Amino acid sequence: MWMLCRCPPWIRNSLLLGLVLIVMLALIGWDRLLHDHGPSEFGNPDDRFKYGSIGAEHDAGIPYWIFYVLPRVFPEKLPKPGIGYASFGMVWEEGRELPMGFTKRRIGFDRVGNNCATCHVASYRKQADETPTLVLTGPNHTLDLEAFFLFLIDCAKDPRFNADTLMTEIDLAANLDFIDRLIYRYLIIPLTRKKLLEREAQFAWIYRHDFPEWGRGRDDAMNLPKYFLINWPMDNTFGPTDFASIWNLKKYQAGTRLNFSGDTHDVYSVVIDSTLGVMGAEPKDKTEFQGHIDWLVNYLSNKPVPKYPFAIDVVAAARGKSVFTAHCAGCHASARTGTVMPLAEIGTDRGRMDTWGKQEAIAGNKAVSDLGIERKGLVEAPLTGYLVQFLDGIWLRAPYLHNGSVPTLADLLKPPAQRPQVFWRGYDVYDPQQIGFVTQGDEAERAGTRFDTRLRGNGNQGHDFGTVLSEADKSVLLAYLKTL
Amino acid sequence: MNMRDSGCRTCRFVLWSGLILLLLISIAAAIRFLPDRAVTYDDPVEHFKYGSTGGERNMGFPFWLFQVLPEVCPDLLPGKGYQSLGFIFEPGRDLPVGMSKRHHLGIDRVFLNCAVCHAATVRTSANAKPMLVVGMPANQLDLMRFQKFVQACVNDRRFTPSQVVPRIAEKAGGLSLLDRWVIYPLGIHLMRDGVAGLLGRMRFIHMQDEWGPGRVDTFNSAKAIFGTAFEQLPKEELIGVSDFPAIWNQAKKQGMQLHWDGNNSRVEERNLSAAFGTGATPKLIDHAAIARIEAWIGSAKPPAFERFYSIDRALAERGAPIYAQHCAACHGRNGSDFSGEYVGKVTPIAVIGTDRGRLDSYTAQLAQNQGMLYSADPERRFRHFRKTWGYANAPLDGLWLRAPYLHNGSVPSLWDLLQPTAQRPVKFYRGNEVYDPKRMGFVADQPNSEGRALFAFDTRIAGNGNAGHEGPGYGTDLAEADKRALLEYLKTF
Repeated sequence: MWMLCRCPPWIRNSLLLGLVLIVMLALIGWDRLLHDHGPSEFGNPDDRFKYGSIGAEHDAGIPYWIFYVLPRVFPEKLPKPGIGYASFGMVWEEGRELPMGFTKRRIGFDRVGNNCATCHVASYRKQADETPTLVLTGPNHTLDLEAFFLFLIDCAKDPRFNADTLMTEIDLAANLDFIDRLIYRYLIIPLTRKKLLEREAQFAWIYRHDFPEWGRGRDDAMNLPKYFLINWPMDNTFGPTDFASIWNLKKYQAGTRLNFSGDTHDVYSVVIDSTLGVMGAEPKDKTEFQGHIDWLVNYLSNKPVPKYPFAIDVVAAARGKSVFTAHCAGCHASARTGTVMPLAEIGTDRGRMDTWGKQEAIAGNKAVSDLGIERKGLVEAPLTGYLVQFLDGIWLRAPYLHNGSVPTLADLLKPPAQRPQVFWRGYDVYDPQQIGFVTQGDEAERAGTRFDTRLRGNGNQGHDFGTVLSEADKSVLLAYLKTL
Repeated sequence: MNMRDSGCRTCRFVLWSGLILLLLISIAAAIRFLPDRAVTYDDPVEHFKYGSTGGERNMGFPFWLFQVLPEVCPDLLPGKGYQSLGFIFEPGRDLPVGMSKRHHLGIDRVFLNCAVCHAATVRTSANAKPMLVVGMPANQLDLMRFQKFVQACVNDRRFTPSQVVPRIAEKAGGLSLLDRWVIYPLGIHLMRDGVAGLLGRMRFIHMQDEWGPGRVDTFNSAKAIFGTAFEQLPKEELIGVSDFPAIWNQAKKQGMQLHWDGNNSRVEERNLSAAFGTGATPKLIDHAAIARIEAWIGSAKPPAFERFYSIDRALAERGAPIYAQHCAACHGRNGSDFSGEYVGKVTPIAVIGTDRGRLDSYTAQLAQNQGMLYSADPERRFRHFRKTWGYANAPLDGLWLRAPYLHNGSVPSLWDLLQPTAQRPVKFYRGNEVYDPKRMGFVADQPNSEGRALFAFDTRIAGNGNAGHEGPGYGTDLAEADKRALLEYLKTF
């Protein structure tokens, strides 16, 4: 070939040099942009659950230094008076680099992704003056996930989301070399901005003024896959629900279903679908993905139920057990547990049920199988009501009902008209009298988001069961419920 | 032909001379602007007093601008020069103790270092000469007023090149054309920008009562790193002002709960966290220079009381068992042996009963965010910040120089601290250098010292409460004679 091109040697040499340069640049580019250093290894399963990468950094990931400086550059966009990401109510162990459920992985450059622990870790305090106790796989009732989504998009929409502003702040904290600074300035910052802005259209429904905020501890669980997995056009449904507890999943045996409306057939499918949701895209590495799913299913199936942390009046609890057997066990400890109760019977807010249906399930199952992932998947049938819950660890699953519209178990045993109309969600000090979190008062208001049961999707009606019991029966029943 | 030849020769000459000139200018510019060189000191104490932590590269004021600022805005200072803010100038020095200098970006830049808050002058009697004690709290320094002064002056209409540069030229004995027309005018703008950025983030100081000398709000300053929206924080979080601590014998304090509320147990994290105050961000900090300071404060000792005053040994001996019985478990066996069951641990606020402002200024959210600090350097990332629910029991080395007492400096002397709250002074004066060996504290009942007005400290202001550390177990109910003996014994620390 060199002979064919009868060019003078200097041209040949220049070409050769150019080629070497291109190869070098390509190598540097691969190393600094694409080279996946893999997930960090964790010595124990709990740490892996808390901080282990599930591969979400590939597509949904945010470049580490952008993630780092956003709250510093845009503090006014944080949802609550507070400092940094902690103001979103993320559960964050002191001394840790990132909040729980946030993972760090180097794919060319350090990126931050999420895992299951973002939404599935509970925090409670027995009194205000103490370090919170964290319960892995519990529902994260303090996290304002919607505010976090909106924060990222709002930052990207701000004209100050530019290389000059962000690099100035990054330079105060990071120690990037020349190449990384160039890459950040000219590639990562503009591309991240673009990607975040693209999310705005998909999130169109959470910008609607006729829908209330999700508030702390909730997400619009089925509208997320509707607009992000199967990419349907926006409809008029709205059904935010509490983050679920995901301990002890082995209780879901054949014949039971999962998710608040019984949308899914089995644990395996729920874990896959939720993980895909966090990743926001097709897994890059199917083997890594499959390995992680298997690990998760095993971990979650066997995760023990947290014990009630206060003293229990055992005499009252024993008496309460018979009240439970007479009035609750028929649904909550029977063959009906884990099956769907028709809406007419349960009578709770129908918002969540209406967000998903047969056609959505068919589309969802197809989208997942198109990725080459085998699972039993979503139930391809109309949704008719809500799942009768297992009550394991019910003390930590406040507020109650699927939409978290009833602050405490004591409130749930009152007729709907007597349940609190407005309360504050997201404060983690526990109230052992009412069984639930403290939802009124200055501290609760400061930490939480206002929950108005009169707003769309927030209805606190229904589940009238047990509301006519005598006060004495209610009292012993509550004592018994602490033991579950 | 000839014409063309000569034309070409001329143009070649011009071309070459242009190139050579450009080269020379570049070399000159490189020599002027590239060097990054701090003034260094071999002696560890001089290094502590004047050495760089690396922070000037970030916030450093141009040396000459710093020098002329008091002349540009004399009316914004309480007296003459930086001395009136409590800065200490040693004879023959053009910078105060606690300021370092670095040649960076073609100019000498200066900024604060550790000694600015951890060194003070003491006069052992009204007639004695001031003696500089390194490692003790900077009792005279009014850091809040300094911040406010700099902020006000750089935003003043007088802080313009036309007014400032001639002053510099006069002081510096002439300026080059480059300095006069480019460097300093640019420096003035950059300084105004820099101060606006930094002190804008620290704007909480405008929401607080006057700190007075010897005090700082450490953790609201730490919140400033995160760009915190102070306007929205609950009011009780914004009352965190407390005394500068003494930093002797730091090596022996490793593992103790450090800071007034005991929120961190590692001295190196404490030091890096404090170094943010000197402008030393993770990228700019000079770890070798910090290591030298750490090595020195690791074993630095306070000067002994007995070097200046006599101690009644017999009386002190009577005080020893009283101390052992009432104080040792929390404060250590003596001034150099810090062993004790509760030393370096936190006593809950309900038990200690002192002012809770400082405690409440440190929040769980701040502790969480601090876990992200220094993540650029995984070895040094902060891992030990924790929200606590009380105040830490500190060892008492160099106790005599650590007046006023309690974390917020609300009790002027040890004698007063041994009295119940009701008998402690409600109002007193802070910032006097003159020591009172009888009460063990600085003279606190004089409004002036050598013509300098002292700060009237009012314990009724939020955050200044002088209650607590009181009752059985705290010595306030001891018999008068026992208190005398205990006080005498404490002089040996």
